[in-house]
Amino acid sequence: MLDQYEGIVPRGDMHLLKKLGEKLAGKTFLHVNSTRVGGGVAEILQRMVPLLKDLGIEVRWEVIEGDDPFFTITKKIHNTLQGNPDQISPEMWDYHFEVNRRNAEKMDLEADAVLIHDPQPAPLVEFRKKGCWIWRCHIDAANPVPEVNQALRKYWIKFDAAVYSVAKFARSMDISEFVIPPSIDPLSEKNRDLSNEEINEVAERLQIPRDKSLILQVSRFDRFKDPLGVIRAYKMVKKYDDCLLVLAGSAASDDPEGEEVLQEVNEFAAGDPDIRILMLPPFSDKDINALQRMAGVVLQKSTKEGFGLTVAEALWKGKPVIGGAVGGIPLQIIHGVNGFLVHSVEGAAFRIRQILNNPEMSRTMGEKGREFVRSNFLITRQIRDYLTLWYFLENSGRSFMEL
Amino acid sequence: MEKIKTAFEFKLYTNLLRFTGRKAKGLRELREGISLVSEDSLFHHTGQYFLKGAVLEYTNDFAHWAGESLEERGLAEHLSNIDPYGFSSIQDLRQELLRVIDDYLAVFPEPRQSFPGDEFFFNETLILVVPLGIQARNLAEFLMAVKYVDPASIYYHFYEAKLRLGGGVNDFSSWMETALGKKDLAEKINSIDVFMHNLEEVRYLIADLVEKEAHRDMEVI
Repeated sequence: MLDQYEGIVPRGDMHLLKKLGEKLAGKTFLHVNSTRVGGGVAEILQRMVPLLKDLGIEVRWEVIEGDDPFFTITKKIHNTLQGNPDQISPEMWDYHFEVNRRNAEKMDLEADAVLIHDPQPAPLVEFRKKGCWIWRCHIDAANPVPEVNQALRKYWIKFDAAVYSVAKFARSMDISEFVIPPSIDPLSEKNRDLSNEEINEVAERLQIPRDKSLILQVSRFDRFKDPLGVIRAYKMVKKYDDCLLVLAGSAASDDPEGEEVLQEVNEFAAGDPDIRILMLPPFSDKDINALQRMAGVVLQKSTKEGFGLTVAEALWKGKPVIGGAVGGIPLQIIHGVNGFLVHSVEGAAFRIRQILNNPEMSRTMGEKGREFVRSNFLITRQIRDYLTLWYFLENSGRSFMEL
Repeated sequence: MEKIKTAFEFKLYTNLLRFTGRKAKGLRELREGISLVSEDSLFHHTGQYFLKGAVLEYTNDFAHWAGESLEERGLAEHLSNIDPYGFSSIQDLRQELLRVIDDYLAVFPEPRQSFPGDEFFFNETLILVVPLGIQARNLAEFLMAVKYVDPASIYYHFYEAKLRLGGGVNDFSSWMETALGKKDLAEKINSIDVFMHNLEEVRYLIADLVEKEAHRDMEVI
């Protein structure tokens, strides 16, 4: 399977993976998260596990089992770690631990390296046997509710290291903290090359005209993604350039505000035939891929963001991206090189016009964006980083190593 | 220290970012951080800035933050003018960074603070180096290799080596002078301006200089 990535990912990454694979072949690597399908963590693990196997590593992926009350509690933990005020009672903490204890009885936790994804399975560390244990935090936990932070601390200090997606999501935890950005898979349905026929088929099915410049934002209908701001920016652009706006997203079942925001967006867009609001069903990866390839410019005008991997997805398709300067977006957009970072609706509108009216600049930015993603945000880089971390943890105390 | 051999052995470089636990909201905290963090951290925020792959408005993370987050453009220009490869030790680089900030604070004692979430995070890197399995025994082989190797290999031998070897000399120039006796070529390569070119441009400039030298060597008369 690794061979399929030859010629797509950097040669250096392939070489490093093979060398690290030689060192770690035959060792055991366990991943634990809370869901087999849905969400970015499961998406990347589905692709990463076979690649690790290909390197000769004995990799396993376990999913923690829990009931509705457990996942209600973990959702609260998730939200409070991101700073949303809420309270978690002592009984809830006990139940969180109890479900993990029951899972630990059934799960084989013996491995040379164990990567625990997000807070749901964090208490498993109480049952660690051997190897190095790493807590992988996929969310912005820089400003957690203090009581929740304190309650989880007893677990965190038992890990050997924590990993964050962005340095500013980290905080002092009394253990080593590393920064490993997430990645996209260039061969997945969402990112693989599409033929013109495939793109045209999606355009026809979704009724997207191809005779106008397409401005696209792919995101959940969430106020932090600023969909109304995107429509305002489009309206400013429309005075100068004939264009089409597509806001494509899916329903988030765990977000009660989603429906309300979607209604606001529909009302605000009403009467303009050149605004398309697309509610895509789950597993619409190919449609998203095609829309990104149809676009003249892609927006991610968030006012608050996690890492925002939709930026890397669009850059990979050779599109300049205009993004809000929040979360992980500034790590992906180099202002003026592969897109623009903006701080207002007006700024977004101006940059859209600039890109639509300068095809040569747009093409150059697109090329640079694709190469930037190739060097920094493909799955092989993320695997390389995990294996490098594991190798360093096994040889702790050193900051320079030569294989 | 890189041992000079007859054949030049290309190596591949990767690093892993580690948060030091220290961050700065304003210039005085940045100054304190610079005075206390590890040499690895200082080198990461200055010398490794060039791994970003694009020639940007600033030349190191401190200048970038001063310019973009504190909006202290004058300070950003002063900090951008510091060449991390121009010092014989990281300690000397640290002193220069502190001097520039102190001079600025003497004139502007109340600089702006950053917004929450936009603080400066002091990081450092763990470095892993792997042999690429490519060796060059003469200029022709070197030319073939330098056009082909990963950009991270160019970074390791051309940028990082200047501090690793001390004295601001890169691995390529050291080998060319010591193993091939090509002092002029070594000097020309070493004087390529890292501030003005990204990694790919540096690769092109090195290949161009080597190709011209190899042509001269082949001319009979």
